[in-house]
Amino acid sequence: MKIRTTLASSALALGLALQAHAADVPEGVTLAADQSYTFWLLDAIKSMDPQINTDVEGSDVLRNIFEGLYNEDGNGDLVPGVALDHEVSEDGKTYTFNLRKDAKWSNGEPVTAADFVYSWRRLANPATASEYAWYMELMQVENAPEVIAGDKSPEELGVRAVDDHTLEVKITTPLPYFPQMLVHASTFPVLQSVVEEHGDDWTDAGTLVGNGAYTLTAHQLGERVVMEKNDTYWDADNVVMETLTALTINDVNQGLTRYLAGELDRVDIPAGQYPRLKKEYPEQAVSTPYNCSYIYVLNVGEKGPEALRDVRVRQALAYAIDRDIIVDRILQGGQKASYNWTHWAIADFERPELAWADEMDQSQRLEKAKALMAEAGYGSDNPLDLTLQYNTSEDHKKIAIAASQMLKQIGVNITLDNYEWKVHTDRMHNQDFDMARYAWCGDYNEASTYLDLMTSYSGHNNGEFFNDAYDKVMKDSKTAENPQPLYQDAERILAEEMPIIPIYHYANVDMIAEDIKGLPQNNVNNNWYGKDLYRVAE
Amino acid sequence: MFTYILKRLAIAIPTLLLLIVISFVLMHSAPGGPFTSERELPPQVLANLNAKYGLDDPLWRQIVNYVWGIVSEFDFGPSFVYKDRTVNEIIAQGFPITLTYGLLSFAVAVIVGASLGVAAAMRHNSLLDYAAVGVSIGAQVLPNFVMAPILVLVFTLWLSWLPGGGWQGPEYWIMPVIALSTSFMASIARITRSSMLEVLTSNHIRTARAKGLPERQVILRHALKPAMLPVISYLGPAFVAMITGSVVVDIYFSTGGIGKAFVDSALNRDYAVMMGVTILMGALTIFFNLVVDILYGWIDPKIRY
Repeated sequence: MKIRTTLASSALALGLALQAHAADVPEGVTLAADQSYTFWLLDAIKSMDPQINTDVEGSDVLRNIFEGLYNEDGNGDLVPGVALDHEVSEDGKTYTFNLRKDAKWSNGEPVTAADFVYSWRRLANPATASEYAWYMELMQVENAPEVIAGDKSPEELGVRAVDDHTLEVKITTPLPYFPQMLVHASTFPVLQSVVEEHGDDWTDAGTLVGNGAYTLTAHQLGERVVMEKNDTYWDADNVVMETLTALTINDVNQGLTRYLAGELDRVDIPAGQYPRLKKEYPEQAVSTPYNCSYIYVLNVGEKGPEALRDVRVRQALAYAIDRDIIVDRILQGGQKASYNWTHWAIADFERPELAWADEMDQSQRLEKAKALMAEAGYGSDNPLDLTLQYNTSEDHKKIAIAASQMLKQIGVNITLDNYEWKVHTDRMHNQDFDMARYAWCGDYNEASTYLDLMTSYSGHNNGEFFNDAYDKVMKDSKTAENPQPLYQDAERILAEEMPIIPIYHYANVDMIAEDIKGLPQNNVNNNWYGKDLYRVAE
Repeated sequence: MFTYILKRLAIAIPTLLLLIVISFVLMHSAPGGPFTSERELPPQVLANLNAKYGLDDPLWRQIVNYVWGIVSEFDFGPSFVYKDRTVNEIIAQGFPITLTYGLLSFAVAVIVGASLGVAAAMRHNSLLDYAAVGVSIGAQVLPNFVMAPILVLVFTLWLSWLPGGGWQGPEYWIMPVIALSTSFMASIARITRSSMLEVLTSNHIRTARAKGLPERQVILRHALKPAMLPVISYLGPAFVAMITGSVVVDIYFSTGGIGKAFVDSALNRDYAVMMGVTILMGALTIFFNLVVDILYGWIDPKIRY
């Protein structure tokens, strides 16, 4: 199954009117009297400020109380948000967005291009101290690095309001996936007058002014968030769901219990419980691909063990791990065994043929791993000792134990090191590890969100894998007409050099109430919008 | 008595200061910081954040600024993680919740526990006594983290009588209070029972009975007061244990209380919230121990301050 390409940008550029995408209720369906949707949050929402929020869960709430230039539909394709369409200049570096004239803030004021200009400058402004300021750099917005560093004023950021309903953005390199990046919550507009009047309190329920399909009516930290339909929203007539409620439940199993008691419409399924629930509730237990990848990072840098600088050892470690056991016996939730870095369901991405993945079965891989270790000078008489570090979690622990048993077969003695999250992360940033558990969730639905990480200049490359050929491929991909073959080259280099051991690609494993319709089925980012939802009568 | 209270309050100030300094240093010596994340922040962004939250100052200056903020404006600073909120706001929202179910649990534990203990002692070696001892031993082996899931299973999933968590009204209070109070109630029942048994065989009770006082009066006026002494000394540590217990209750019942905020702040390295809650808990513990000591003096005339 291949998830469809996002956004036909040419179609948008031509100004084709795409269907506005509020709840798409088929004819003949009877709606329930109670149009409310209650969903689960693992943790308290850290911030309701789009430019301050850093969490996936926070974004789930923000997408409903704010609206950016574009939204996504159930397949992850872009649909108009505040922007109706856009034009791209010939050099691919200037985007001009045409904003809809009927978009309004929840206090009745019109949403204008100036609101976006203010918000984007606010994101980059060092005075805001946003942890997501770098997203402006990632978007390649002109002068973003200098503004963040304080070397240029926020006014010099490459974004400008041509008039009230035309927004112009200048970027430094052509980015074919630039429009996809605009569904990210940090690019959502905020209303300057409200932010300035109320300071840090502007996000309080009752004070917050948004432009989304819902307004924030209650927020009790760590308990619940309540959002009610916003009648000033431009497409309010087509919004069916009246109330969205998010309940914070800090324990996955407790979440499931409360779902089964009928208190929630959607909840994550704890690891290992999917097969049982699928059998008991076949219509409710669902597994869909999710844009994250689970790996073990190998420390190939100066501070790492010498053995890991030997490519044969790195390959042997990767070959010896039986991923099928991990996904089929431990996780059991529709996750996929992975032999590469980029998530399999990413738009347009197709994994290249890789010898170790496609031409060998696990027993052959194991034999090859033993041979490689012997070649590198390790064996039963000279075993290799390594540590495998992971952050506190039952699942990470189970996988690490399984991996250490698998690696024992090729004469590698693994010591398991469990650290609390912040310590784990800190040690990784300081290259204080041999092998470490790592997961990355893509910011947008395009392969570069993964592949950029492994460049020597990414700043996220904790294993210090510095490879000129890889850097070149990724640099070339930025200007290539079709970057996909280069992405495949990048994956081939990773398979050859093996600086990371791919383990599995994530899936969203959920219980969803049968009468709730309109949640995305095929959106790898799993971005959902309350305005698309409806509850059918029993 | 008055000077004694003043003296105790005077000692509380350096105690709290010491608590602040030790927590501050320990907290900052833990690896990672509030802005450590999987995606390492660009140095410039991190510098901007550290400057905004004053983390670029030397540690001693941070402590001085922090304490000065509290003393001069009662300002515990902004949360580093819940960035829309100040520590004062977080405590103002979470503390009343914890206080509500904490006090209710306390009341339930003391009233039910003491009644059970007294009843058992008065009918020593009767069926009632065995039942009370049985109940309290049973309750003792059910700590809050075991009670909570059992309660949810029975009252939420099977019977659908009570909501499984949240904090919207009195029906949300019941399970947290039962979960938190059960084991304390059991301890108090056992302590009351044995202490009551001892008191009932003492000379002044025999005297009271000998002069023909009605049994009610013997128990309520002469036996109960001395019998409560060991219970009262147990209340100090019980209060502290309740605070730790609130962490479990908050997590399990998603009440939005302060216990969960405390644990999160430690894991998130949310320095300001962690300090704020530590000081609050420290001050409450000091205050509560003082109350217990005053009660002691009131109940036992032999104790003089």
